[in-house]
Amino acid sequence: MQRAEVTSTVYRLPSSGPAVITPLRRAWRQRALVVALTRRELAARYRGGALGYFWSLANPLLLLLVYATVFRLVFTPRADVRPYSLFLFSGVLTWGFVSSALLDAAETFRANGPLLRKTTVAPEVFPAVAVGARLSHLLLALPVLAAAILVAGVLRSVSAGPQALAFPVVILLLALAVFGIALAISSLAVHFGDVRDLVANLLTLAFFLTPILYPIDSVPERFRPWLRANPFATFFSAVHDSAFFFRPIPVADWLWMTATAAVCLGVGAAIFERLRDSIAEEA
Amino acid sequence: MSQTSPSSRRAVVVDHVTKLYRRYGRKHTVGSLKSALLAGRARQSLSPDSAVPALVDVSFEVTRGETVGIVGPNGSGKSTLLKLLAGIVRPTDGRVAVEGRLGALLELGAGFHPEISGRENIEINGLLLGLTRRQIAERFDEIVRFAELEEFLDAPLKTYSSGMAVRLGFSIAAHSDPDVLLVDEVLAVGDERFAHRCLEKFAEFERAGVTLLLVSHDLALVSDRCRRALWLDHGRLLADGPAAQTVARYRERVAREEGKARLDEGGGGERGRGGRGEGRGDAGTRGRGERIGSGAATAEGVRLLDAGGRPAGSVPCGEAARLEMEVHAAAPLSDFVFGFAITTVSGTVVFGSNTDLEGFEPVQFKGRAQVSLEIPSLTLAPGVYCVDVAVHARDGAPYDYRRDVLRFEVTADRPSTGLWSPPRRWGFEGAIAWKK
Repeated sequence: MQRAEVTSTVYRLPSSGPAVITPLRRAWRQRALVVALTRRELAARYRGGALGYFWSLANPLLLLLVYATVFRLVFTPRADVRPYSLFLFSGVLTWGFVSSALLDAAETFRANGPLLRKTTVAPEVFPAVAVGARLSHLLLALPVLAAAILVAGVLRSVSAGPQALAFPVVILLLALAVFGIALAISSLAVHFGDVRDLVANLLTLAFFLTPILYPIDSVPERFRPWLRANPFATFFSAVHDSAFFFRPIPVADWLWMTATAAVCLGVGAAIFERLRDSIAEEA
Repeated sequence: MSQTSPSSRRAVVVDHVTKLYRRYGRKHTVGSLKSALLAGRARQSLSPDSAVPALVDVSFEVTRGETVGIVGPNGSGKSTLLKLLAGIVRPTDGRVAVEGRLGALLELGAGFHPEISGRENIEINGLLLGLTRRQIAERFDEIVRFAELEEFLDAPLKTYSSGMAVRLGFSIAAHSDPDVLLVDEVLAVGDERFAHRCLEKFAEFERAGVTLLLVSHDLALVSDRCRRALWLDHGRLLADGPAAQTVARYRERVAREEGKARLDEGGGGERGRGGRGEGRGDAGTRGRGERIGSGAATAEGVRLLDAGGRPAGSVPCGEAARLEMEVHAAAPLSDFVFGFAITTVSGTVVFGSNTDLEGFEPVQFKGRAQVSLEIPSLTLAPGVYCVDVAVHARDGAPYDYRRDVLRFEVTADRPSTGLWSPPRRWGFEGAIAWKK
């Protein structure tokens, strides 16, 4: 009856099993710990109770206010993206999740060095917690988004529909893709000091190359395939489809998002597995 | 299935294990992914410039239920060995296997978060140690009781004293019910009472058949608690055998190195030599070089002379030795006692006597004088010993009391355990045969 545990603690060289799957399997096996550590992150941040929750919303709301004001004063939004503040809301909120999760991932091993060096915890847990904590923030902000949609619906500015229910599914697929990228970023950040700066700069660039401030169909047709090469573009187009236009997400977009999530997970896990052994030594 | 084959009784196998730590040069500490990518050498950037061996070709096995101590100076690879067994790092070469459920206590309370309550920390720490949520719930009350923290359970951990946090950390680990437990120098923290509770828990583990690997600088603990000890030095396994023997050999080496350093320093005995040498076994267990007294009289120049009358750092067991000190009275004294004591490094008094006990009645002592004590046959067991000297009044009021003012080594051809190595002869009658 001990056999199962025996094989799990025998360290063979070279490591066994397909490299792409192992980090994901380990993270899944440790899910109770991932959940507990994520709750710890949230608990430590929301120590102030309701006020803590408010502060976690303050940043996206403030950004929203700035974008909505600036863009309305400077440009006139197209007729189909009004009310523009509601159009911005879902995208900015979702982008907040992506960028903060990836920035956290770049620092997670440094922040958790003692745990890595002194306990037998699987390192996969930490990028998972970085993504999990930020995902929780996003989910906690969803009631505010839902309320905004309802108010707009009552005021007849939009006609909300059941298509909005696709939004959480899009977020789930996006979270998987982000976790894959987080695996790569976190393990590379152990070896290279500039990963965080690099990620921060790429995220700024990606923010404008992703349909967040504008709908994807406002991009000229001939550039759109290039835009789609940005792994986030289709996700945000789908965010707008579900949470603003309330129209079905095209099947091709679903397939593209699923493929993107799978590739991100696969590549991220492969990079992570390649660097895994040195994480506890270098962190 | 096969019956109890030897392999099924093994809890730990370390098979020709070498661990190299990678060391990266300047290009790496500057560490830029950008430049690595621009130069198209991301792969090479990830390969180390050189490697530092932490363990070199180490092999041993531990049978289920054994308690094994691991001793050696700092940087000898002890912690690396535990990390390999815990699976935190992987061997560069060779094989490591641990059979059964593993518990690693490499640092008490690693993973405690200051902002959340003790209750929440217990859960997270339990999960870190590999317990399931249900197991944690089942053992929760017991963990809290052992740690004696009932009232503080819902307070954030930052309000705990360090002693409380340490108790909680140990309690969680002790209740994670491992088959193999790795412990790294954990008893060094916490108070006396806590240390006792830890030892009790270890004894309990031993009775329950838990395999225990214990890294410690407390050599007395290792030789008391462990049947077997490993001695690591510079990543190599220098000795593997009964704890008392391994510890004795390790002590001998430390003493020899110390003695060498002592002689290099020029006879020793003077002040200003506290805290040197990391490899010393029992450093810090006694007030080394501690000196108290009124100064009405002082003792200086304490030295040990060998049979030939030369100052020596070591004396062969059974030979003559002579302890000397120069004493000085600031003003003439009529009440005075001179004393010498020999102790082990850990502070056990092996011998002690003074002029009062021996029946000398003081009349007068003034100016400079010399006191010596001759021992015709020093039959101490091989090892390192310390000398305390004292000048005090007959009621015990110290003029000058100096602890651990000199260390010397007793050498012998063959090791023995204990403190006394008397002249001896073995006798055999009947059908006993020996080689040669």
